[in-house]
Amino acid sequence: MSAPIAKDAEHAGSTTLQTTYLRVKRLSTILALVVLASACELDNYDAPNAQLSGRIIDAETNELVEQDIIRGTTIKIIEHGYDPVQPQYLRVKNDGTYANNLLFANTYTVQPELRNFVQVAAQDIQIGSDTKLDFRVQPYIRVKDASIVKDGTRIVATFKLQQTVPEVVSRIGLYAHAEPIVGEPIRSVVAEAQLGRTVEEGETFTLVIDAAENRAMLKSGTPYFFRIGAVINVPEAKFNYAPAVQITVD
Amino acid sequence: MKIRILSIIMVMVLSVLSCRDVLDLRPLDKLDSETLFATPEGVRVYLANLYGQLPIEDFSFGRLGFNTANVNTGGIAPATQTDDAANSEFSHLLDGGGNFQWWDAGYKLIRDINLLLETVPTVSSLNDATKAALLSEGHFLRAFTYFALVKRYGGVPIITTVQQYTPDVESLRVPRSTEKDTWDFVLAECDAAIENLPASRAEDSRRATKWVAYALKSRAALHAASIAKYWSKAPLSGPAVSEGLVGMDASLANGYYEICIAASKAIMDQGGFSLHKPTPGSPEEATANYMELFQNPNSAAGEVIFVKGYTNPGSSGHSYDFWFNPNQTSDGAPHPGRMNPTLDFVDLYESYTDPGQSAPIVTTTDGNVNDYNGFNPNKTYLRFDTPYDIFKDKDARLWATVVLPGTEWKGKTIIIQGGYIEPNGTPKIETKESIAVNGETYYTYGAADWTNYSGFEVYLGNMTRTGFSFKKFLSPNPVPPNLTYSTTDWIEFRYAEILLNYAEAVVESNYTANNAQATARDAINAIRRRAGHTVDIGLNLENVLRERRVELAFENKRYWDLVRRRDYHEKFNNTIRKALVPVLDLRVSPAKYIFIRKNLSRENPLTFPTNFYYAHIPGVGANGLVQNPQY
Repeated sequence: MSAPIAKDAEHAGSTTLQTTYLRVKRLSTILALVVLASACELDNYDAPNAQLSGRIIDAETNELVEQDIIRGTTIKIIEHGYDPVQPQYLRVKNDGTYANNLLFANTYTVQPELRNFVQVAAQDIQIGSDTKLDFRVQPYIRVKDASIVKDGTRIVATFKLQQTVPEVVSRIGLYAHAEPIVGEPIRSVVAEAQLGRTVEEGETFTLVIDAAENRAMLKSGTPYFFRIGAVINVPEAKFNYAPAVQITVD
Repeated sequence: MKIRILSIIMVMVLSVLSCRDVLDLRPLDKLDSETLFATPEGVRVYLANLYGQLPIEDFSFGRLGFNTANVNTGGIAPATQTDDAANSEFSHLLDGGGNFQWWDAGYKLIRDINLLLETVPTVSSLNDATKAALLSEGHFLRAFTYFALVKRYGGVPIITTVQQYTPDVESLRVPRSTEKDTWDFVLAECDAAIENLPASRAEDSRRATKWVAYALKSRAALHAASIAKYWSKAPLSGPAVSEGLVGMDASLANGYYEICIAASKAIMDQGGFSLHKPTPGSPEEATANYMELFQNPNSAAGEVIFVKGYTNPGSSGHSYDFWFNPNQTSDGAPHPGRMNPTLDFVDLYESYTDPGQSAPIVTTTDGNVNDYNGFNPNKTYLRFDTPYDIFKDKDARLWATVVLPGTEWKGKTIIIQGGYIEPNGTPKIETKESIAVNGETYYTYGAADWTNYSGFEVYLGNMTRTGFSFKKFLSPNPVPPNLTYSTTDWIEFRYAEILLNYAEAVVESNYTANNAQATARDAINAIRRRAGHTVDIGLNLENVLRERRVELAFENKRYWDLVRRRDYHEKFNNTIRKALVPVLDLRVSPAKYIFIRKNLSRENPLTFPTNFYYAHIPGVGANGLVQNPQY
């Protein structure tokens, strides 16, 4: 770039350089201000501001309905105002409660999808900063009179089943794992029976896991969680359970 | 001023002269279809490209995709994502979004094939017969491609013309067809292929023939039938299911089984194929014959139907010898020993002394083969003079597929040992120690230096952790120790698979026409006879499935068999695969070998989620397709 042509030889040199310097300084200041002004926000998206929580409650007994946190009941929520819209799925904890505090406030259509109970109607709700939503349901199977006790190295589970739908009970099981989230999907030792029939209310079932035969998984003197479960023969039905019990095996 | 005007005039003149032609210039680096297809060489060039893109699940296929022999895959072969084998280091059953994704490349290939199909009829220098044969070849390629898509995703968009780009992108979207329609399309494409493909080729013998198209039809129809029949073992729900994009009704199963039966029978009756060396004189001969078939498919022209060749070591070879030799025969490869057949798999083979059922390896006097808790001092273990006596009467194919402990491979005795029992009864298993007994030193892994054994020590993952190493397909000669130096050819379709497809279809559909039950029984017994069996067995599902699994072992079939029969989620539910640990028993003198059945070490419980029967469809935000269940 050539130097500006001096009209007057006397004014060439320092005056021109000074002007250039001031111009550059002014420009850089403006530039810096622009950058700073726009750098304050990382993006223009809001953070999650809503929470939905609640319980799965047995409509008849008013107790919580036990679940699996992994590969268990899911609650589908579909946000209004978007097309197409990706459904979101909430998980339910083993004890039958659920909570998600990373949602966006809006109106949603909510309905459980994969489940261990008879389907309930979808409902539209407004999810705000602390929305509670319980589901009163009819579980496919109730595990009754559940008892899990230690008998030497044997862990013995006895229980009765009450089915609330006409389909057959596929299978029943006693599941063991080191973690409290034990269930059919999370187990290191299992004692299962393929039933494939309906059950009577007075029928007692017994399932046994002998720690002595499962030493690779059940170490003597270590506590494990044991849980009784049963599943109905409805496509994609999830297991119904009694609460897990912690036992230190011999 | 004058110069200025002159230069302006010059520029105007030049631009007027040149702009007329610039958009009509022909590219100097591309050929138009008329030129390309006018000569046989041009046709072969284009077809070679299509064959190169075909989704053949061969030696260079794995969870990282097709043609990944030059990639560091960690030696994770598809077989190690099933119950047949474990990788020595990784327990990689699953990959996110469903296994073995293949979408964009599939539709790119379809477009290239559609281009062929649309262009061939217009090429004036080809005669009608040549055109018909080329079109049939195109239909075979398209059938093969859509087969790869439908078995991964269920129903997919069926595109049979070359789409022309238009800014109206909406009009370019093609919705998914139902799963049933997609399978029917694959089978119809096979028929279009069968129509005009030659029965054999004098030149380019590896290109598709009529029998290759029949073989694809046999395989695809069996797959479709299985899904229809076994869908209810793992039912799914959601929009993809309600629209029929995934799932087929059980009533469709027998129709597809019959298509499989007819296609297989065409090959059996008219194809002129036969099993390689079908009547060995002894099990040892059977073992040698079976190994020969895979070490050099070109020596078994009677059995192989469709072969993919690997010619240039270092560029277009594969890497099986690099990853899978036992540690002792790595010939310098840094990461051998990666393919470890499981005890579950080894248990499967029949014993010649008790044909008709699997012969699990019995290690204790109580005969309990369900105790995987490891060494138990209260049990009485059977003792053996050598590490391989325990496998004595097992099927020849076991000896040909798996490197059994203590057997010879590439001139070395492969030592696979997990430990010893000290004379005082203390077990030292899967730990590195040595002990002197009566002046002789014994090592837990069978030798002092790690270069002299091939099992159980956790040393760079070169050691088998199942107690078995691998040799099917491997070269008996040293291969340069680098990726892509193996040149053993891959058999994609062979006669034994056709017989097994036929037998399974007949059993599953109770097909009785034309003496099919007897033919199917003869088929599985012919395969067994080739493996040294002398006693025939009856035709039932268990026998057919066992034969299939041991005969086609490690040919990348097991994964899809587990998927199509909906067995995967049952076989893999918090499952830990199993190992057989040879242990030197120093409580007796001379020392003898005992074996411990146990859970695989360093293995996480593996679970196959049912929605993985269909892979996740990529890009649904852009292509507007209905996503598969639970993604």
